[in-house]
Amino acid sequence: MDDLDEKLLELKDTSELMIDLAYSSLLYNNKEIAEEVVLMEEMLDELANDIQRQAIERVVQDRDEGKAFTVIKLAAAVEEISDAAMQIAMVTIHDDEPHPVIRLSIKDADTIITLAEVKEGSDLVGKSLGRMRLASQSGMWIVAIKRGRKYLYGPDKNAVIEVGDVVISRGPPDAEKYFQDLCTGQERLEEP
Amino acid sequence: MYDIGREQRLEKYDLAHATVREMLTEMKDISEIMVDLAYASIMFDSEDIADEVKNLEEDMEELSKNIRIKAMLSARTHKDANKLSSLLEVAAASRRISNAAGDIVKLIECEVDKRPFLTFILREAEEKIKRLNLTERSDMVGRMIGDLGVESETGMRIIAIKRGKRWIYDPEEETKLKAADTLIVRGTDDGYDVLRSYANGEENWPVYPEEEEEED
Repeated sequence: MDDLDEKLLELKDTSELMIDLAYSSLLYNNKEIAEEVVLMEEMLDELANDIQRQAIERVVQDRDEGKAFTVIKLAAAVEEISDAAMQIAMVTIHDDEPHPVIRLSIKDADTIITLAEVKEGSDLVGKSLGRMRLASQSGMWIVAIKRGRKYLYGPDKNAVIEVGDVVISRGPPDAEKYFQDLCTGQERLEEP
Repeated sequence: MYDIGREQRLEKYDLAHATVREMLTEMKDISEIMVDLAYASIMFDSEDIADEVKNLEEDMEELSKNIRIKAMLSARTHKDANKLSSLLEVAAASRRISNAAGDIVKLIECEVDKRPFLTFILREAEEKIKRLNLTERSDMVGRMIGDLGVESETGMRIIAIKRGKRWIYDPEEETKLKAADTLIVRGTDDGYDVLRSYANGEENWPVYPEEEEEED
């Protein structure tokens, strides 16, 4: 992968994280997360511009205008997804309390969002997300970790969970209870 | 203005009776599956999947119109209207996501030889879209997706199934898996490896003691 490819990938992955975060901000009426989505959107705007500019520069060099066209179109579409995430986040920012129906709708969805505090004795403590294979083990994908007053958004596989962390994750409804119990230590992770 | 197929498609949303809440959930679900399907159509160069994305985009248009109407009818006071307006904002955002997915599948119409790099990039994404075949040796055969709990067990979401020439998009919990199905799935690499070992019959689907489920 070259530099342009990597930027495009970052754009895609971040846009998806933003959607998860935007819905989380609505569900928990959390303005801090919503503000982060706004910041990410600004960053992605820059990134998308960068990608588009770089794609055009390449045409001058390699005359592959077909590839440049594809890159520019894709970047624009992904940017649209990040704009949509921001639109959702703005509802959280502007409303004192979002319409209760919004929350209920989010809770009923095929993919749910859940939040849990990690207690002492939980199997999640001390190991990296990658090593635990948390997503495949529990079905839940971590979108953010709150540690003290700080947030870690879109933790990568090297992130390590600590006691007291509040974990926001996304996944199928039938995985919620197991995940919650993993966080409290009532359930154990299967050894891989 | 729509053909029969169109009307039949819309039946499942029961727009006449669906509540604002149900429609918003539906719109969130559809917008998310559309993004996955859009990337899948590019990765596997599938016009069928691209067509489904276009159909879903039209469904979203209908849902979006209907949710607005329902919301307007239910507002009694200025305060109501104010709160509903943010609800509609969320609906509009999911529609926007669906439009973006629609734009992504349009790339399928571009020159084929200009897209391999996209497949290459998408293969490196955090959550990947991949394909696997269900062999007859697998004990997943004949069982329902919801009973297996495919996503909670492996972290892999089945976004589409190809059965012979037919496609099943965003399969239901009640959808039964069959031998020789091709599953299009989304998730992590290790989730994929786990699911593949079940799908090709190398491993048996895990069984948990009944009583655990009946607790609490």
